[in-house]
Amino acid sequence: MATADLTRKETALDRLAARLSPADLAVPTFLVVWSAVVILPLLILVVFSFFQVRSYQIVYEPTFATWQSVVETGRWTVALRTLRVALTMTVIELLLAFPFALWLAKGLRSKTIKAIIITFLTIPFFLDVSSRILVWRSILGTNGIINTVLTSTGLVDEPISWLLYSEFAVHFGMLGANFPTMVFPIFIILALIDDDYIHASGDLGASPVQTLLHVIIPMALPGILAGIIFTFVPLMAAFVEPQLLGGGFVDLLGNSVDSALQQIRYPMAAALSTVVVVLLGLCLGAFMLLTRNRLDLATIFSALHR
Amino acid sequence: MAQLAARLATKPVQKAATGAGEEDSSPAPETVGKPILEVIDAVHVYGDVVALDGVTVSAAAGEFLTILGESGSGKTTLLRLISGLEKPYRIGALRLGGVDVSTVPAYLRNCTTVFQHYALFPHMSVGENVEYGLKVRGVKPAERRTRAREALRLVRLEEKHDRRIHQLSGGERQRVALARALAPRPAILLLDEPIGALDEKLRLDMQVELLEIHKRLGMTFVYITHSQEEALTMSDRIILMRKGRIEQSGPPTDIFDRPVNRFVAAFMGVENLLEATLLTLDGDHATFRLGEATFSGRWSGTGSPEIGSDIVVGLRAERLHVADAAPESPAAANVLPCRFGAAIYKGKYLDRTANTAIGQLKVRIWDANPVTRDDAFIWWKREDCMVMSP
Repeated sequence: MATADLTRKETALDRLAARLSPADLAVPTFLVVWSAVVILPLLILVVFSFFQVRSYQIVYEPTFATWQSVVETGRWTVALRTLRVALTMTVIELLLAFPFALWLAKGLRSKTIKAIIITFLTIPFFLDVSSRILVWRSILGTNGIINTVLTSTGLVDEPISWLLYSEFAVHFGMLGANFPTMVFPIFIILALIDDDYIHASGDLGASPVQTLLHVIIPMALPGILAGIIFTFVPLMAAFVEPQLLGGGFVDLLGNSVDSALQQIRYPMAAALSTVVVVLLGLCLGAFMLLTRNRLDLATIFSALHR
Repeated sequence: MAQLAARLATKPVQKAATGAGEEDSSPAPETVGKPILEVIDAVHVYGDVVALDGVTVSAAAGEFLTILGESGSGKTTLLRLISGLEKPYRIGALRLGGVDVSTVPAYLRNCTTVFQHYALFPHMSVGENVEYGLKVRGVKPAERRTRAREALRLVRLEEKHDRRIHQLSGGERQRVALARALAPRPAILLLDEPIGALDEKLRLDMQVELLEIHKRLGMTFVYITHSQEEALTMSDRIILMRKGRIEQSGPPTDIFDRPVNRFVAAFMGVENLLEATLLTLDGDHATFRLGEATFSGRWSGTGSPEIGSDIVVGLRAERLHVADAAPESPAAANVLPCRFGAAIYKGKYLDRTANTAIGQLKVRIWDANPVTRDDAFIWWKREDCMVMSP
């Protein structure tokens, strides 16, 4: 009897040890760490928006005052504008990045030039955003390089004012920094598509445009989705471009949060941040719903490397 | 376009009736007997490597033409030139159905390819893959569905119409690739080592299936392979390539029994290749000196060599006969005493090494025990002795 019990205990222990293998621990560990580092602060942020600051002290009394002022001061239009700018920029980046990535992955034969271009694409990450954006002021401003050239050559009579401190300037400033995040995922997936598929399509009678629509784009969808998400999310939180190039005329959620923080209006910053997060959540949710039935990502990925 | 729907399951009658059976799928009017494919003086280079060195090939309508060669021989390059995937460095002419297409892009050429690794679109179902060639040509959905089903029925995969590609086995993928290439009814079907990736049993089944489909459709097949066995089994004609040039071209029996030189003979599996000196040549009747002795054989080399020049003699192991005593009939003039060496048991037959005055010869013995002694005689018929260029 005793020996039987002993063996049963051992097997139970073994089973426990087997259950605690690194592979099984991976998911719970990830969830715990991710919750502690990302999700918990987010929840605290939401809670913060229901408190108030009085004489530089946070008053821990739940109130809707901040949310009321968000609605009454028309800050929700800022949310709409942010959404509009972020979506516009994502579309522009996609339209620019896809042909570029296609050329980089399939058109360009020289490996050296390819390596150089990929290195060049990382340049936006070298410098701090503010210092990069600041340069555009001296180029786009009324006394900037462009206007100086235009007026001195007599192409225009007076400096073009909408080049700086306008929505155009904000969009323009966002262009470069958000280009690589769109290009890279699309480039990688296009590079993974075997040339045989493209050849087979042409061989079966598809014109280059038909091959693009029926073969290349559907197979590149995972990369396109990744590019959209990685580009859209930072755009929703952009604050340097509207601050430095918007000149106070283009308020986006990002710089509103920033200025609220500087004025030590933490609940307001928290409320606006919550708006950003909720909007992002809604957009991504809608995006997932739209694409859920259209594609089987796992299938495409497994097929890319045969 | 309407009659195309009914055409996939063309009866063998059609081939017999028209002698070709491709006149309706080719845009140009076809005259009987004119080659459907002509490649004239094609040259192609990759960097410094010459992949094709002035190759001229033609195929008659309805022919099963095999381009045989080892890797790097230029056979795949030739296929890619025909399909338009590769632009030739220089070409005299490339005519499909009599029309020069050397400047026509791949998608406008009336030929399709079965790729070596299938290249089936992973994001489409089996049916969508087969319909693809029809869809991009603007065939109406209803019609293309019918034709896709017909093409799938042809390869006996109709019930897999709605499957995803990754749910298929290798052999099924191969047949879907075939159906997809057949569905647009091309004038020429190009096959790039299509069954090389399959295991042996499936390969043999697919050989038979391909032959049957070829017979039923009467379509021109240009088939690429490195396997002499596949080439011999299926082809109407074989073109053997080496280093971007054509070494020999002809029906399988020609290539197998009448190789022009040592390379062709070795590629077609001639086991015994010996160097000799030509003594006389009268028509295809050649006599030659091999070591101390004089033998006769059948000349299959190129040109008319000078008397006394070096030639190569080829003897297939299975065409050598062994006997306890020297045979006396005059037909068996080629006799050599031999002493048997090592034996390799192969199940159906026995491979033995025979040491003779002219060197070691490999002999294939099919009978259980034709020779009892180790010392014996080896003989062969004159017409089984291939005499060729070096």
